[in-house]
Amino acid sequence: MTSSHDTIIIGGGHNGLVAACYLARAGQNVLVLESRSVLGGAASTEETFPGFKMNLGADHVHLFRPEIIEELALEAQGLVAKQSRVIVHGLNAGEPSLTLHTDVTRTQENLARLSRKDSDRYGEFCQFFSKMTDMLRETMARKPIDPMQLDARSMLDWAPVAWKLRQMGKRDMPEFLRVLPMPARDFLDEWFENDFVKGTLGSKAVTGSLQGPRAAGTTYMLMYQNLGGGPSGFAPPSVIQGGMGALSSALAKKAESLGVTIRTGAGVSKIRVERGVARGVICSNGEKISAKRIVSSADPYRTFFELVGPERLGLKFVRAVRNIKFKGTTAKLNLALKSLPIFSGDPAPNPEDLTGGIVINPSLDYLEQAHDDAKYGRYSSKPYLYITLPSLLDPSLAPEGQHVMSVQMQFAPFHLRESSWEEKRGELAEHILDTLKPHCPGIGELILHRDMLTPLDLQNRLGLREGSIYHGQMGLDQILFMRPVPGHGGYSTPIENLYLCGAGTHPGGGVTGAPGYNAARAILAAATAAPAPTAPRPKNRTVSV
Amino acid sequence: MSESYDVILIGGGHNGLVSAAYLARAGLKVLVLEKRYLVGGATVTEELLPGFKFSVFSYVVSLLRPEIIRELDLPRYGLKVLPLESTLTPLPDGRCLYRGPDGHRTFREIAKFSLRDAEAYSDYSRTMYFMARAVRFMLGIIPPDPTSLKFRDLNGLLKLAKHMLGLSTQDFYTLSKLMTMSSADFLEEWFESDPLKATLSASGIIGTNLGPRSPGTAYVLLHHYMGEVDGVARAWGFQKGGTGAIADCIARSAEASGVEIRTEAGVSKVLVKNNRATGVVLENGDEVLGTTIASSLDPKWTFLRLIDDGLLPEELTDSIRNFNTIGSSGKVNLALDGLPDLPCMPGRGEHLRGAISISPSQDYMELAYDDAKYGNFSRHPFMDTIIPSMIDPDMAPPGKHVMSCFVQYAPYFLAEGTWEEKREAFGDAVVDTLAEYIPNLKDMILHRQVLSPWDIEQMTGLTQGNIFQGELSLSQLFFLRPAAGLAQYRTPIESYYQCGSATHPGGGICGAPGRLAALEILKDLKR
Repeated sequence: MTSSHDTIIIGGGHNGLVAACYLARAGQNVLVLESRSVLGGAASTEETFPGFKMNLGADHVHLFRPEIIEELALEAQGLVAKQSRVIVHGLNAGEPSLTLHTDVTRTQENLARLSRKDSDRYGEFCQFFSKMTDMLRETMARKPIDPMQLDARSMLDWAPVAWKLRQMGKRDMPEFLRVLPMPARDFLDEWFENDFVKGTLGSKAVTGSLQGPRAAGTTYMLMYQNLGGGPSGFAPPSVIQGGMGALSSALAKKAESLGVTIRTGAGVSKIRVERGVARGVICSNGEKISAKRIVSSADPYRTFFELVGPERLGLKFVRAVRNIKFKGTTAKLNLALKSLPIFSGDPAPNPEDLTGGIVINPSLDYLEQAHDDAKYGRYSSKPYLYITLPSLLDPSLAPEGQHVMSVQMQFAPFHLRESSWEEKRGELAEHILDTLKPHCPGIGELILHRDMLTPLDLQNRLGLREGSIYHGQMGLDQILFMRPVPGHGGYSTPIENLYLCGAGTHPGGGVTGAPGYNAARAILAAATAAPAPTAPRPKNRTVSV
Repeated sequence: MSESYDVILIGGGHNGLVSAAYLARAGLKVLVLEKRYLVGGATVTEELLPGFKFSVFSYVVSLLRPEIIRELDLPRYGLKVLPLESTLTPLPDGRCLYRGPDGHRTFREIAKFSLRDAEAYSDYSRTMYFMARAVRFMLGIIPPDPTSLKFRDLNGLLKLAKHMLGLSTQDFYTLSKLMTMSSADFLEEWFESDPLKATLSASGIIGTNLGPRSPGTAYVLLHHYMGEVDGVARAWGFQKGGTGAIADCIARSAEASGVEIRTEAGVSKVLVKNNRATGVVLENGDEVLGTTIASSLDPKWTFLRLIDDGLLPEELTDSIRNFNTIGSSGKVNLALDGLPDLPCMPGRGEHLRGAISISPSQDYMELAYDDAKYGNFSRHPFMDTIIPSMIDPDMAPPGKHVMSCFVQYAPYFLAEGTWEEKREAFGDAVVDTLAEYIPNLKDMILHRQVLSPWDIEQMTGLTQGNIFQGELSLSQLFFLRPAAGLAQYRTPIESYYQCGSATHPGGGICGAPGRLAALEILKDLKR
């Protein structure tokens, strides 16, 4: 028999750790269980090859909520973020390239070489776009409001959002509501004329989704990916000194200083539910640990189908969870390089231009065609690549003079129709490198090591179901009160004392910390609002929704 | 001296006629100006070959609002909708999926493909029925302006909120999903067999420039479930005499109330003095004066072409330019020497009185869309065809038939060439595709009319040939249709109104935009 905790958190990803910190700070006795040997989940760094530290999942941290860094004083735990002054560098195989700087005027100079008109409109666009992302950002750090479950607390919580929306005025408020569900292609067509400009600006609209830029709601995604861009419109990427895993380490250190117990190598195989109430967990090694409440940062499918078991849930709820669309579509190729690669371009990029994202997506039609392949269960014959060189901003990630490079590739659908990822892994790596070569001719000779992560590997190594980097696609039908399933957007579940805190909940994926933060707040609010019921419950209760 | 009217309606399509009828019934002197030689706009029947009558553009009816039928007494003027009860989807392997009025038979037919789907089908139909009922309320209201603090807007929002909150929790969530999903994803939650999913998803793409896997198409799917025929929800029907007879009966009702209708009287300009519309200039140069002017044309006409530059704020003209009106549908009308015969269901059966849908698989539909995305017509298009002469024998001479094929996709903007050059190639693709399922078709064709979106634009005036006067996408619905601040039928120019399909609630032979606009005009005139 083991000791009892207030809260067990399943999964030591960044959201699980954020939740742990906030719950411990409120005085709870918290235990975090992580199945892997390292913390961080999809926000982790491993020395995959000696001397080269690689981010297995996410590379950039600019979406992380600043209030969490401040409230948890993470900088005191050694967290150092380094921001690039370049947002993105678009490659076009020897054709004129395009660099977007945080400095709008410099960007406009670059744009002018491609299109005078686009250059002229860019300033106004940045102002408009930052107004829109500012508004969207307001919705992040809150439990989503559900029109079917209105209560005084949530209305009070959302009153500032409603107020801010109203304050936007006659022109901007309807504009916000209009552009949010638009296809990114239509949205960018309203502003710009040059295909390459639109391709470079718009590629992030489909990141992580099995959607092309003509899909409704991709403008929302473009905004989400650029939250906090401020006056520069789009958000410049930033990295953590020591790799993304250093964020998790800082969170873990903070958590431990608040009394949290963290155990790695401790996978959970089952959540113990008695009469509709979560009582504890059963670890993979058979150990039983009980706690007053269980908080799962695993995706909702794994939480309900594997850890709880559908037999303990109502039919409608089971059906809703089964209908969550994961649709993983991202592959990642991590490379250890002998030296900094030389990219072709006109003008050839200087090293600073490469500190942000490097994009291969010459036009939105290219992106759409890349997606077309995926619709029929094939990986893109001409993929969209999003490349980062984190060692440029943080040389500690690689031996001196050498570099780590991560190439995120879309579209690589999890479900291949005519083959399996086991068979196609090597072929995909070659395909990505072939796509890269016209833009980076010498890359082949620079590679010391490579680590190919197909969507299947993302599932098996990082626990991302179907390789979905967001724990479920972030389409318009799976956000706000519909995330993870309609009616359960508030972090609680049909099982009493079982909560969710992962990216499968509002506001969704990316290294934001927001789901963990919101979940902790919701849990604390529930704990103060209603003392646990003491009356005995009927036996074998099935929870219906 | 020129004549003067209380109201001049620009455009004699069904919405313009509905508006005119309501305004005249309130005692106003109303003139309808139609550019073509006949009224109806895209709701016309024409005899292109002696004895063969074609519903040239729109061909079925369902959405026409019952309150309009009642208030304008349309049955008295000839409205007679014959039910269209079945859908047959032939498949390349010789099988077919048939859904008809007999629930048991439909069950068995679907069960050939999947028993699970057959069981789910009635549940699905019931859900869609309730969903349609939940949103039908919206068809009858003026979209409130969420930025306004006026009593009527706040009250409208409150009423809307009350209605939505009055839905059952399950209905509300299903509706939320329908508003945001793709029809393919939505149907995936219900069914497993490919032909059924493909055929049902077809309603989600009709008239749109989207594929079944594009988010937003589930709403269009729902839009097509909102109709009713003679009180039977979700039923589709065929007007006796073709859709032109619908326009005719509305016109007769309007004329009975005193409306004057002038055909071959296209309007080239709206006269504006001191930001007030005072009349119109006809294409022949004549001026007609009116106290109130209403346009049932699409917004690009209403705001950009009929109004002189500089009279409207730039923000408004920008948003109208951005209003998505790209047409994606074509129409092929055939005059036939005999009756089509489908090997998958041979003979002259019930199925020929219903729709024949060329939508064999989801990939088929999606591939058709892929062609169109890059500016080509679909080599193997999706088609919704009916044989009107089987439903109403008066449509063709005895023993002969007419066949109406609604085709997607035919993008307005071609990557190469013009529609004048490509029209017949497109027609060939349609006939060749159909002939795969109807082998005797090619030898029977007496006459073929091929209409690309460009032709639709030339003939009806619909900008870019969009049959809804503007895509039914989330960012172009309700208080955003056609643009924020313009959704209540008024315009920044006093006494100038809009009443076409580009206003709430949108396209189809629905009439609601015309009726709601007329009611707003009467409110402003304090009638």
